Amino acid sequence: MIFSIAWKNFSRQGIRAALNVTVTALAMIAVVFNISLYNGFQAQTTRNMIRTDVAGGHYRAPGFDILSPTEWEDFTLKIPTALKDLPPSDKAEVLVQQGQLFPNRRLYPVQMRGIDINQTLLDLPLEGLKSYSGKVNDIIPAVLGIKMAQKAHLKKGDTAVLKWRDQYGVVDARDMLVVDVVTMVNSRVDEGVLWLRLDHLRDMTGRPGEISWVAVKDFQGPVAAMEFQTVEELIADILNLIENDRKYAKIFWIILIFLAGIGVFNTQILNVFKRQKEIGTLMALGMTAAQIVGLFTLEGSMAALLSVVVALILGTALFAWFQSVGLDISHLSESTIPVHENILLDIHSSEVAATLVIIVCVMVLVSWLPVRKITRLDPTLALRGRAIT
Amino acid sequence: MLSFKLKILFFASILTLCLAFALPLNAAEPDAQKLLEAVDDNLWSNTKRIDGRLMIDNGRKERVLTWEHWMEGVDKAYTRYKSPAREKGTKMLKIEDKLWMYTPRTDRKLLIAGHLLRQSMMGSDLSYEDMMEDKKLSAAYKATFVKKEDLQKMECCVLLLVAHDKTTTYQTRKLWVNMEKEIVLKQELYAKGGKLLKQVEYFDYRELGERLFPRKMIFRDLLKENTKTTYMFDDIEFDVDIPKKYFSQSILKR
Repeated sequence: MIFSIAWKNFSRQGIRAALNVTVTALAMIAVVFNISLYNGFQAQTTRNMIRTDVAGGHYRAPGFDILSPTEWEDFTLKIPTALKDLPPSDKAEVLVQQGQLFPNRRLYPVQMRGIDINQTLLDLPLEGLKSYSGKVNDIIPAVLGIKMAQKAHLKKGDTAVLKWRDQYGVVDARDMLVVDVVTMVNSRVDEGVLWLRLDHLRDMTGRPGEISWVAVKDFQGPVAAMEFQTVEELIADILNLIENDRKYAKIFWIILIFLAGIGVFNTQILNVFKRQKEIGTLMALGMTAAQIVGLFTLEGSMAALLSVVVALILGTALFAWFQSVGLDISHLSESTIPVHENILLDIHSSEVAATLVIIVCVMVLVSWLPVRKITRLDPTLALRGRAIT
Repeated sequence: MLSFKLKILFFASILTLCLAFALPLNAAEPDAQKLLEAVDDNLWSNTKRIDGRLMIDNGRKERVLTWEHWMEGVDKAYTRYKSPAREKGTKMLKIEDKLWMYTPRTDRKLLIAGHLLRQSMMGSDLSYEDMMEDKKLSAAYKATFVKKEDLQKMECCVLLLVAHDKTTTYQTRKLWVNMEKEIVLKQELYAKGGKLLKQVEYFDYRELGERLFPRKMIFRDLLKENTKTTYMFDDIEFDVDIPKKYFSQSILKR
């Protein structure tokens, strides 16, 4: 009975009701879109990092920090047997050293990253290095990512002098040949990185059998003289960055919900003011104040309930289209965000449900708040439309 | 029997001829190591004070810094920059293998050690490590004579220097030394693999007491384009008394 009265009253509001439903539905879609976009960003970042760099974690020389290039050469060690014996599909040996590249006789500091060329754990397009022998000759073959090649003004077939220090700090230099320029989905293994064969880098720096870290598929238990870093630890900076962004995004969500709520709140205030005589009549007919508050609250909540339906229909269409194109983030190409491809939404049903529930609850609350005053109305004054002036 | 005697005579003649030609050649070939020691003795002294300019040309712009430098032996050195305004008051103190740098803008002294020593010194073609070179070449390298060559209108011996120690930054160098004056006119620094990396040229030698000292020294990083770093030694004094405080960390303040 109350529901049908509420529905009739709600539908009589016409354009006002439609606007409230639309705004609330759009707020729901925007919040879910935003949450899912962050999810997608995080998922793609993590996937790219795992595929190209992190794998299932790193066994590192204790104290090694990728952000301290001047100390890289102090944190190398011989690969322990426990890790050495793993198959190439389960581990990737990596040695990182500082170098200086002189493309067109301009200094360009680089990270020389030597990787075991037979490894299959990480998905890196380094086939160009495979045809070279394990012994480094006068010319050092290297693979560059597109970004690195662009910044250094190098292309496939170009040569440039590469300078580095060996394990004793002795200066050495040779010509480096760009054997391939490849697309890297992770800019962290592209910009400033010179990909070399591990055996070549070991030979160049006089570090036979040495590594900076070993990327492994799975944790192999504690290994003497090495520390294990989990995927979460290795990508903690990106996760923190996204988490911080999410915090700021919450302000945006609150504003959206606030705007949708204001619409409903305003409508409710207007309803109570304009329908005083109706309220008085209902009271005269025997409805209690609580029942009338319930009726008006239900009317207001209709916008929220209907907006859930609209949001589901509109949102499904919008999200389906978006998933076919993705979000172009090429403007972030100058940053070290390890995503190259367009971002797709990662929609979690639990988050969608939570968002809808929260917005509906807020709408119910803002529907109830303005109509509470009905309980204080004098029925005789309400009948004459003078209870609220 | 006769033919055997003839053979001996023949070989003896050949040997005599060879010796006759070889001896003057050997006599002209200098003792490379001794020459290197003589060059070191000419350049190094117990103490010295230099007033000079440092011109850093990065190919686009040239900066000129004026400085005063005090040196004691090979282990201690103190440099104070006098201009431009941006560098005025910057001080560098080297004691053995440590280098401290003080900048008045930050009012802090910074220890430049380890890998930091390999960075470029104030944007020049020299690294701090190059600047801190504290071993006499004759002590760090074994010299051999390569050939004779004319340079700066002087006859020079080209010496090949190979490091005794496998930790010496530059494993090989080439030196162009005028034998008569025992001065070095040019130096080339090579990578371990043999690639030429840096070049140092010495100009305008002048007599300072019993020594000959260049007025100008030009460093070039040959891997970079159009860059050079020029040291101008405007005023030099050898074997001067240097206050002890100059080689103390307490000097590193305003």
